[in-house]
Amino acid sequence: MTGLRTEEFVVNMGPQHPSTHGVCRLMLTMSGEKVIKIEPVIGYLHRAIEKICENRTYNQCIPMMDRFEYVTSMSSNMVFALAAEKLAELEVPERAEYLRVIMLELNRIASHLIFYGVTAMDLGALTPFLYGLREREMIVDLFEMTCGQRLTYNYIRVGGVSKDIPKEFVPKCRETVKTIREKLLDYEGLLNENPIWLVRNKKVGVLPTDLAIAYGVSGPVARASGIDFDLRRDDPYSIYDRFDWDVPVRHNCDCYDRYLLRLDEIKQSLNIIDQALDGLPEGPVQAPKFKPMSFKPPAGEVYSRIENSRGEMGCYLVSDGTTKPVRVKLRGGSYSQLQALPHFGTGGMIADLVAIFASLDIILPEVDR
Amino acid sequence: MGIIKKLPVYAEKVPGGGIVTTSIEKVLHYGQACSVWYLLFGTACCAIELMCTGAARYDFDRLGMIFRATPRQSDLIIVAGTITKKMAPRLRRLYDQMAEPRYVIAMGGCTVSGGPFYYDSYAVEKGVDHIIPVDVYIPGCPPRPESLLEGCLNLQKKIKQQKLSDWQK
Amino acid sequence: MTKDALKDYVAGHYEGKLTPLDTGRFDLWFEVKAGDLVEVAQSLRDDEQLKFDFLCNIGGVDTTERFEAVYSLASTVHKHRIDLKVVMSHDAPEVDSVQQVWPGANWFEREMWELYGINVKNHDNLTRFLLPDEWDQGHPMRKDWDAPDFIRMPEPGQ
Repeated sequence: MTGLRTEEFVVNMGPQHPSTHGVCRLMLTMSGEKVIKIEPVIGYLHRAIEKICENRTYNQCIPMMDRFEYVTSMSSNMVFALAAEKLAELEVPERAEYLRVIMLELNRIASHLIFYGVTAMDLGALTPFLYGLREREMIVDLFEMTCGQRLTYNYIRVGGVSKDIPKEFVPKCRETVKTIREKLLDYEGLLNENPIWLVRNKKVGVLPTDLAIAYGVSGPVARASGIDFDLRRDDPYSIYDRFDWDVPVRHNCDCYDRYLLRLDEIKQSLNIIDQALDGLPEGPVQAPKFKPMSFKPPAGEVYSRIENSRGEMGCYLVSDGTTKPVRVKLRGGSYSQLQALPHFGTGGMIADLVAIFASLDIILPEVDR
Repeated sequence: MGIIKKLPVYAEKVPGGGIVTTSIEKVLHYGQACSVWYLLFGTACCAIELMCTGAARYDFDRLGMIFRATPRQSDLIIVAGTITKKMAPRLRRLYDQMAEPRYVIAMGGCTVSGGPFYYDSYAVEKGVDHIIPVDVYIPGCPPRPESLLEGCLNLQKKIKQQKLSDWQK
Repeated sequence: MTKDALKDYVAGHYEGKLTPLDTGRFDLWFEVKAGDLVEVAQSLRDDEQLKFDFLCNIGGVDTTERFEAVYSLASTVHKHRIDLKVVMSHDAPEVDSVQQVWPGANWFEREMWELYGINVKNHDNLTRFLLPDEWDQGHPMRKDWDAPDFIRMPEPGQ
C-alpha cells in the first residue's frame, strides 16, 4: 500500500444545497474523506440593502431592515429604530418599551425553534422539524394578530411600535408560553440522550475561546465557548435592566453545547415574557412628537447594537440633518461566524462539517446584505 | 362509487371484476399532477414560508408534493427568494439539469419583478422570467402558505390541460 | 470604566494620536491618522485598563467631500465601547489593515475595498467578494456611481 498515489481534490458544496441556510458556497479541499481547507464564497444574496436605504426616509427604511434578517425581523427593526431614536433623542413611551421586549423575546424563541427543526433535519431526523414548526405557528399567530404579517413584521418603528395589541393577545400569549414550556420537555426527551445525536455532535467543531474573541463571534456560539457576555445584561438597551433572568454559559465549545445552550435560552426568554406581561402598563404606543414623513434627526453618527438570536446585530447610522440617512452599515452575527469557520471547521469529515454548519445557525442575508 | 363518478372514466362490471375505459391523456394527467416533486430551492425570506408550508399546519404532502434535494429527481422548481445577478447562471444550470416535463413556480414579489429591490439596487435580477420560463406566478412579500397552496393547485390545473401532442414536438 | 473616566484615560495616554470628535453625542468618537492606526489599535487591545479585544464593525463612508473608515470596538472584559475614525481624501483613499490586531477585520476590509475602492495595505486577500465575478462597473457604494441599468426611485410627484 505504500506505492498508492494520493492527491487532494476540491469539492464544491454549492450555492444550492439541501439545508435551508440559504445560498452559501463552500469550496472544500479534501484528502479522501477528510476536509483540509474550507473557503467560503459569498455574495449570492447581495441585494444592496445599504444602497437602497440611502434613498429612503427613515420610516421607509424599516421594511428594508425586515429583509436584512428575516427570521428575527423584530430585532432588525429594533436595531435601526434604536439608532434613529438615539440620534434624535426621542423618548419612547413605557407601553411601547414593554411591547417591544415581548415581541423581541417571542421572536427569539421562534428563531431558536427553527434552529432546532432545521439542525435536526440536516442530520437526518425529520420529526423535530415538524415539532419545532408546530410551536412556531402558535407564536406566528400572535404576531399575525398584532401586525398582520407572518414573517416581515414592520412593527417596531422609530418612536415606538406601529399599533397596539388587541385584547385577545395577553391571554393567548400566556397560553403559548405555558404550551412551549411543556413541549420543551418533549424536545429534550427526543434528542438530548439520543446516541446518534451524541455521537454526531459531541466533540465536533470545537471553537476555542480565544479564537472566538479574535474573530468577533458573539451570541449563543460565543456563550457555548465560555465567553460570558450578553448585551442585554452587560450593555442594556430598552428596559432589559428591569427584568431578572440568567445568562446560560457552557464551556465545552462543541456543537452539542451550542444546541443545549439555545434550548436554555428559550427557557430564559419565557421567563422574561412572563415578567413583561405582568408589568405591562397602559398608555400610548407612539412618541407624540414624532412625525414620520418629516423626521429629520440632527446631524451626527451612532452605532447601536442589540443581542440577536445569532449574535450581536449592529447598525451604524450617519445623518446629515435631512430626511434620508447618509450611510447605513449593518452588521450581523453570522458574518463573523462564517469568517471563523475555516479556522475551526477542518480536520473532520464532510458529515461533521454539515453538523458544524448547522450548529452555527447562519442566515445568509446577514452575511451578504 | 362516489369516486368513480368524479373521474372521467367509463366503468362497467363484467363477470369476474370490472373494466374501466378512459383516455391515456387522463391517466397521464392524474399521474403527473398528483405527484409533483419539488426541488428545495430557497434563497431568501420566501424560503421560510416554503418550509412552513411543508410543515404540519399547511401540509404539502397531501397534494403529493415531497421535497427532493437534487434537480435530477424533481419535476418542479419553486424559486423562493430574490435572485441576484451572481446567482442567475447557477439557477439556469439547475433548471437545465431537470428532466422534462419540468415546471417553474415563481414565488414572491422578488421573483415576479424584483419586488422591494426594484429601485436603487445594483445587484438584483428584476424578475426570474429573464432567466427561466415560468408557469405560475405567486405575488406577495412573502406570500402566505395558502397562496402557495393555491399556486400549486393552479399548476395542477395547468398540467391537466396539456395535450399528448405537445410532447411529440 | 465609565464614559468620562474612559475619556480622561484616553486623553492622558494617547495625547496627539487620538483627537476627540463631537459628532457622536452618545459614544466616544476619536479621530486617528491613517499612519498611526495599527499602532494605536495594538495598544488599545493590549492595555490592561482598556482591553478592547472585540471588533464590532468596520465601515466605509462616502460623504461627498471625503472618505472615512470607521472602527467600532468593544471590550468583553470591561464592557465599554469606543469608536475610531480615519479620514481620507477623495482622490487616493488608503488605510492600513488591522488584521494582525483583530483577525476578524479581514472580511470587513475586503468588503470596504470592493464597494468603496478604499485601498487596504498589507491585506492578504483583496479579491471579489460580494459582487459577481465578472463585475466591471466600478465601486457601487460611492455616491457618484452610476450604471446604465441602475433604476433610481423617482421623487414624489414625478
